[in-house]
Amino acid sequence: MEVKQTVASGSEGDGGGLKRRFAVYGQKYGILVALVLICLFLSVANEYFLTARNITNVLRQTSINGILAIGMTFVILTRGIDLSVGSVVALAGIVAASLATTSSTAAAAGGPYPAVVAIAVGLLVGMACGAVSGVVVSRFAVPAFVATLGMLSAARGLTLLYGGGRPVPELTPEFRVIGTGEVAGIPVLVLIFAAVFVIAWWVLSATRFGRHVYAAGGNPHAATVSGINVRRIRFLVYVISGGLAGLAGMMLAARTGSALPQAGIAYELDAIAAVVIGGTSLAGGVGRVTGTLIGALLISVVNNGLDLMGVESYYQQVIKGVLIVAAVMLDQARHRRE
Amino acid sequence: MKKTMLAILATTALTMPAMAQDKPKIGAAVYGLNAEFMQIWSAALEEHPAVKEGLVELTIFDGRYDALVQQEQFDTMIAQEFDAIIFVPIDIEAGAAAVEAAAAAGIPVVGSNTRVNSDKLKSYVGSDDVQSGYMEAKYVLDAIGCKGEVVIIEGPIGQSAQISRLEGNMKALAECPEVKVLEQQTANWSRAEAQTLMENWLTAHPGEIDGIIGQNDEMALGAIEAIKAAGLNVTDFSIAGIDGITDALLAVKSGDMASILQDARAQAQGAMDVAIKSVTPDHEPMSDIWTTYTDMPWNGGADAEYSVPWTPVTADNVDALLALRQ
Repeated sequence: MEVKQTVASGSEGDGGGLKRRFAVYGQKYGILVALVLICLFLSVANEYFLTARNITNVLRQTSINGILAIGMTFVILTRGIDLSVGSVVALAGIVAASLATTSSTAAAAGGPYPAVVAIAVGLLVGMACGAVSGVVVSRFAVPAFVATLGMLSAARGLTLLYGGGRPVPELTPEFRVIGTGEVAGIPVLVLIFAAVFVIAWWVLSATRFGRHVYAAGGNPHAATVSGINVRRIRFLVYVISGGLAGLAGMMLAARTGSALPQAGIAYELDAIAAVVIGGTSLAGGVGRVTGTLIGALLISVVNNGLDLMGVESYYQQVIKGVLIVAAVMLDQARHRRE
Repeated sequence: MKKTMLAILATTALTMPAMAQDKPKIGAAVYGLNAEFMQIWSAALEEHPAVKEGLVELTIFDGRYDALVQQEQFDTMIAQEFDAIIFVPIDIEAGAAAVEAAAAAGIPVVGSNTRVNSDKLKSYVGSDDVQSGYMEAKYVLDAIGCKGEVVIIEGPIGQSAQISRLEGNMKALAECPEVKVLEQQTANWSRAEAQTLMENWLTAHPGEIDGIIGQNDEMALGAIEAIKAAGLNVTDFSIAGIDGITDALLAVKSGDMASILQDARAQAQGAMDVAIKSVTPDHEPMSDIWTTYTDMPWNGGADAEYSVPWTPVTADNVDALLALRQ
């Protein structure tokens, strides 16, 4: 937090004044307040919202988008964007599933392999996709939007080629644990999400690498001058995003019971939405993974609440649209003040 | 938002040896090849005896779920002077202009699987979605004894299959006035979306839902996963879907759901015979589907519509159907 403020906007103390401080707090907590208000409203409006089972559902429904959004946060902090995550979800999911299926037609040669092997390969596939995007962005200076748009298309094509366009069903029970298992009543999906969040939070707030991510996004020139290898940082954030997309893809396959080649279409948009609603600036250098968590929760809570109350799903899209734009307007207003 | 996606070239058409000039060139424009159903349809088209024996030259175009892409593929086929076109449109209205352009160029167009709102179509070989909607809802309602509470998981609102299947659902529901529809919402043919929707419905209506009418198999399977995730017993629910995709056949086998098989092979090969007939007047149908479905007579290939019957998937025929997918 301190780091980000120093890097992005210079020292906080000089003549900020009450109005500015209020704006900073508004940005920091506004979205959390919105989440709390919506939860309060839903608790009153629907008797089931605050039940243990529904809260578990909301967390489960947040986990996959949440993990994608955490990876996206790293990328957006460096002024980048990763449009390919939805396609990487499908590719990693189908490759891992082919190693962990008992179906004779869909299994990779020699399968089924232990779930650990399938998951390791899935993660590597995701990281490899991210590494390609990362190299294209950091070494060849191709705009992230273009590089990852290319990967969006290529990874989807590879998914269809790899599986012949067919789904991979009959996953081993061992592999399905990551999508359907529970530990002490908490879904494994949620536990993985929580672990990813804690690690990401620690990396961004307490490690040198995390500080460098903020620095490389806040002011790349200054970061380079002060000895930070900005290219390396830019490369690594795409590897992180790709790896997390791979993880999310396997969780999705394990959750739905089958890896589908058309899985994950447009997931990048919900991930970006969560990041942006959570207050991370597309201009780079400013934002927190806690904000992303709240943004992802907000999207799930709204969807869940409207489903519970039997509201048509089209309203969900409208509300999500309003939230995204409102969050960025807040961001822009803050930038103008600076 | 539509995906930008690499075109999947119809490799079979490219790898075929050079053809004699007088061999009929037949193009198949399908709305998209990402999902299993159209893959089965396309594979069946390539396995039509006339294609295998090299009597016609077949090219399959992947419409990538975009009406505009399909329109452009029609322009390409017209420019290359194809002799006939088999058309599976993404959109009932947007496909009409493409059909008219082909008709104006004197190229007969045979519809298959999905309807297009045009009177310029030479013929249509497909299955009546109203009927399948009726059959699946009837199954669910019979299983719950024509009373209780059900939910309907719909396809993308406004797509012809959603409209027709809902019409069929409602027809069956009208016969059971005591049954209440608790919820009715779209999950866009998607398993993951249906799973989320069902999780939320199970929370909102604990112990109330007796039957689940999924307008396709993917969504019925998503509902099953939601039930399992909630720790409930799948056999306490009566669940049905449509299409007969492989995962659904497996679920029927394990007693989790019912499915109504849409015969992609018959739709594709039937359309191929009708298309060849429109180019070669002395053509006799070559696919075995005309002997399988006695309810769908060939009638000289001149009918405006061929309705391929639906097949309920049961414990008795599921193994045979699964064997066909290997």
